[in-house]
Amino acid sequence: MPITILQPAPVPVFNDTRNDHASASDSDSDEGGVDLEGDISMMRPSKRARRTEDDSIVTPGEVITEDPQWMRGHGTYTTRQAPAIVSSVAGTLAKTNRLLSVRPLRARYTPEIGDLVVGRIVEVQAKRWRVDVGASLLAQLPLSAINLPGGIQRRRTETDELQIRTFFSEGELLVAEVQQLYGDGGAVLHTRSLKYGKLRNGVFVAVSGTGGGGGVVRARRQAFTLDLGGASADDAEKIDVVLGVNGYIWISKHVEGEGAAAETSGPGINRVEESVGLNVYSSQNDDIPMSTMREIARVRGVIEALVEHGLRVDEDMVARAYHEAVEMARGDGDGEDTLYLGGERGRRLAQALVGR
Amino acid sequence: MPLDTSTYDLALLRVDGRRWNELRRLDGQIRTQAAADGSSYLEMGNTKVMCVVSGPSEDKRRGQTSASTATGSNAADVAVSVVVAGFSSVDRKKRGRGDKRIQELQTTISKALASNLHTHLYPRSTISISLNVLSQDGSLLAALINASTLALIDAGIPMTDYLVACTAGSTSSYAANDDRADPLVDLNNQEEQELPFLTMATLGATDKVAVLVCESRVQVSRLEGMMAAAADACKGVRDFLDQVIREKGHKMVTEGTIEKGASMAIEIDA
Repeated sequence: MPITILQPAPVPVFNDTRNDHASASDSDSDEGGVDLEGDISMMRPSKRARRTEDDSIVTPGEVITEDPQWMRGHGTYTTRQAPAIVSSVAGTLAKTNRLLSVRPLRARYTPEIGDLVVGRIVEVQAKRWRVDVGASLLAQLPLSAINLPGGIQRRRTETDELQIRTFFSEGELLVAEVQQLYGDGGAVLHTRSLKYGKLRNGVFVAVSGTGGGGGVVRARRQAFTLDLGGASADDAEKIDVVLGVNGYIWISKHVEGEGAAAETSGPGINRVEESVGLNVYSSQNDDIPMSTMREIARVRGVIEALVEHGLRVDEDMVARAYHEAVEMARGDGDGEDTLYLGGERGRRLAQALVGR
Repeated sequence: MPLDTSTYDLALLRVDGRRWNELRRLDGQIRTQAAADGSSYLEMGNTKVMCVVSGPSEDKRRGQTSASTATGSNAADVAVSVVVAGFSSVDRKKRGRGDKRIQELQTTISKALASNLHTHLYPRSTISISLNVLSQDGSLLAALINASTLALIDAGIPMTDYLVACTAGSTSSYAANDDRADPLVDLNNQEEQELPFLTMATLGATDKVAVLVCESRVQVSRLEGMMAAAADACKGVRDFLDQVIREKGHKMVTEGTIEKGASMAIEIDA
């Protein structure tokens, strides 16, 4: 059997800086070469060296300042023996007057009063629901914090308690506002407005890591109606989008005078409430035309592409990205029915949005 | 195959050509799984580990997780599950769910992380960490700890410092040539089979030891040298992990995903 001698493969070049350590403490000294007094020498020089680098990222364990004039905020802790503020997460530094905090690169959602959130019921209890809002604890929605169908104002009776599942039951989605916070970070929600309530006629998207910088940002308007601008044959097609601050997003068919985007109803809100309020707890979807379903799917694709490419998700961005996506689908010659926005198409979409 | 320690004495080079204080090639990534709260992938030489963190979240199944630690009633649980892939080592071993070695790994990691993480910020919730071993070539516990540290940082869970781990061994296992026994760091599988070794985890750049596991017989006089070498190697690992995180952070800042942070440079230099 003949023997073939292969050319040796070239040595892969590794990033030199990564293996710096191996060569840095390079010594063949016979006494073992181990620096037993490392605990004194290492802390200070490394900190100084890192701080002089012009980067705004801090990492866990990094001393931010030893100056006692600063107060520590989120994402930091103080050391006892040598008073210093140390970062506990990886992120960017934020200064508010004398308060130092670190915004993590990415984290779970932390509720704040007034946040518009989309949530899913996970548990039904006697007088309240437990809602998953993507935070570290489940939020609760008391029976007294919902609107009764028909807009009747009265005390919640035992009859209501027995019928609690007719309002919301397990697995159902709702849009609500954070009304109150507990000390441990748990949230109490309310849906006492026509804007809030049960969600139907649409699709749910979850965007992770919104507690940090990316994903859905707190904005002036979290729920809006996307005008499809005659993208399809029907002239007045609209889609409602609810961008929950917690990174849960609901995209649904637009129904006049209903849903979270109906906040512009004006002074006649009470009358509207009386007329449409009766089916707010319905779990039955309306009839959705095929073209609307397609556009809902397109908006979903747009939002996922935005997240994948690390772009903000807000009203302006979604609207622009949506129209860009429609243009792309037209321009590619695949027809408007092409909804795929992953891979190369997603990248092109992101570039088109950033380039402007 | 016995490790030819005489070669080490001649050239001071180990079986894979490293010197005593050299780490194997490290490769790390964070945010490998888009849907998870935090995720990482770490290679230490040929040991390859994947980690996914979910939580902190309220978990109804609390208390039945195998490796959860009760760090007081008012703090988050850290639940660790380690899965060793069947194809990860040379011989395919069937490991059951109740494998004692894996359970010990889980408990060690869980306890070490629980003391490092600021779990008191998340009462009544669980941080679950699932680790998958894709390939084993020594320093398994160290790789698992490092991978979970990366994933936890990605998940944005506050912690005191990086928890970094590394192994250290000693070149000879008998007392005779005590003077010529060198400590070795970051052992591969072959060295682990032959030599006494320990796994040590420290808190970042400090010398605070969080984990110390030694399952082999070793001369007590050599222990200090091994620990010192491991602490030194941990610093190298920390620098590497820090670089991985910083690169990701820079990328996010330049891409505009997150706002640029304020700088403390002036205040500190003053």
